[in-house]
Amino acid sequence: MTKKAKPRTTRQTFTAPPRRTSPARGPARGPARRWWQNGNLMLTVTLVVAAVIALGTFLVVDGTGSEAEPPAGATDPRLVRADSHRLDVAAGELVTLVEFLDFECESCGAAYPSVERLRKEYAGKITYVVRYFPLPGHTNAQNAAQAAEAAARQDRFEAMYTKLFDTQKEWGEARTSHADTFAGYAEQLGLDMTRYRADVTAPDTVARVNRDKADGTDLGVQGTPTFFLNGRQLQASPTYANLKKAVDDALAAGS
Amino acid sequence: MPVRRLGWLLTVAGTLGLVAAFVLTVEKIRLLQDPAYRPTCSINPILSCGSIMTSDQADVFGFPNPLLGLVGFTVVATTGVAVLAGALLPRWWWLGLQAGAVLGVVFVHWLFVQSVYRIGALCPYCMGVWVVTIAVFWYVTLHNLGGRPIVDAVARFHSTILTAWLLVLVALIGVEFWDFWRTLL
Repeated sequence: MTKKAKPRTTRQTFTAPPRRTSPARGPARGPARRWWQNGNLMLTVTLVVAAVIALGTFLVVDGTGSEAEPPAGATDPRLVRADSHRLDVAAGELVTLVEFLDFECESCGAAYPSVERLRKEYAGKITYVVRYFPLPGHTNAQNAAQAAEAAARQDRFEAMYTKLFDTQKEWGEARTSHADTFAGYAEQLGLDMTRYRADVTAPDTVARVNRDKADGTDLGVQGTPTFFLNGRQLQASPTYANLKKAVDDALAAGS
Repeated sequence: MPVRRLGWLLTVAGTLGLVAAFVLTVEKIRLLQDPAYRPTCSINPILSCGSIMTSDQADVFGFPNPLLGLVGFTVVATTGVAVLAGALLPRWWWLGLQAGAVLGVVFVHWLFVQSVYRIGALCPYCMGVWVVTIAVFWYVTLHNLGGRPIVDAVARFHSTILTAWLLVLVALIGVEFWDFWRTLL
């Protein structure tokens, strides 16, 4: 470390070459080293650059590795499976809105009132389907999805869906399991608790949630909420106005 | 490293650590006053001081951890300033600093494991403390062991080794939270 000449010294040396050999300068060090000859500095920079390149490579590989394919059309089976939860069903299913959601995701909670308003307004005109897409960064997203699925086994999916979003602020962003909180909600909803407790952790409940997630990943869903309207992914943020406009356009195109 | 440069390092690192410890202490007090308080560094589910500060690990010794930082980093910064002022500190002083730095570096690695693998969240100020503690430990150790040929050979690549050390921690964080980072893109 002591090998590195101070910049000031370097400059002096540069402007007054004869002084380099002066005995007062201490042991001879050979010619003054420039910054690019400083092995430590160059190695440090190399290391940082290599780390950045590695990160970039991982991101690219990870991005292209998953062979996501956007839906082939409104009837793409990956969008709505036979066992997917339809909260509203329109006659003829002319307009189908599919939402991939995570009960813990804040922006899903923010979109929820808009979706509810839209569902009320367009009751009977649109089919609304909820698909699970619990994100790994949310501790209770998977628990919540399983709670909703356990409620669905007793035909109370919508009640649990509403309850989970209404209470999101109370349990969201925790780092500990809120499975008991969700069981409490199930009890409030009057579910058969023996069945609920068996269903909520049952392997086929977990598999059901995972299938939804796999479909989403396959369709190119990366975050939540992601909406598909008649097979087209909505790019605009899911505000009430944006959702309404998209639905109106789809209704106009269909009629 | 010339002792003067070590003085600068201790001053800057000590001050940064002190600021972080101070903020964490103030946030902790606010959180105690109002359990619903949302710390300024709770940005998203992963970068979340709240979940860290309310964990058991945040009071390992029965009192909030940042109190240790308030005292420890003050000593580090003061030592740095004293060196810059031209003080020639005795060997026992440096060995005392070494003892503190060793305890500090062990502690931050324990906190790293707890934060990343047990609590599953990161707190930005805490990560700042990890970085400066490791840097202080590294340079104080090189200073105290200086003069031995092996140490001097290692010291020639002081910042390379420090960077590699920190990058390992970054990589561990990256791997553990990979799925989450991806959703941010």
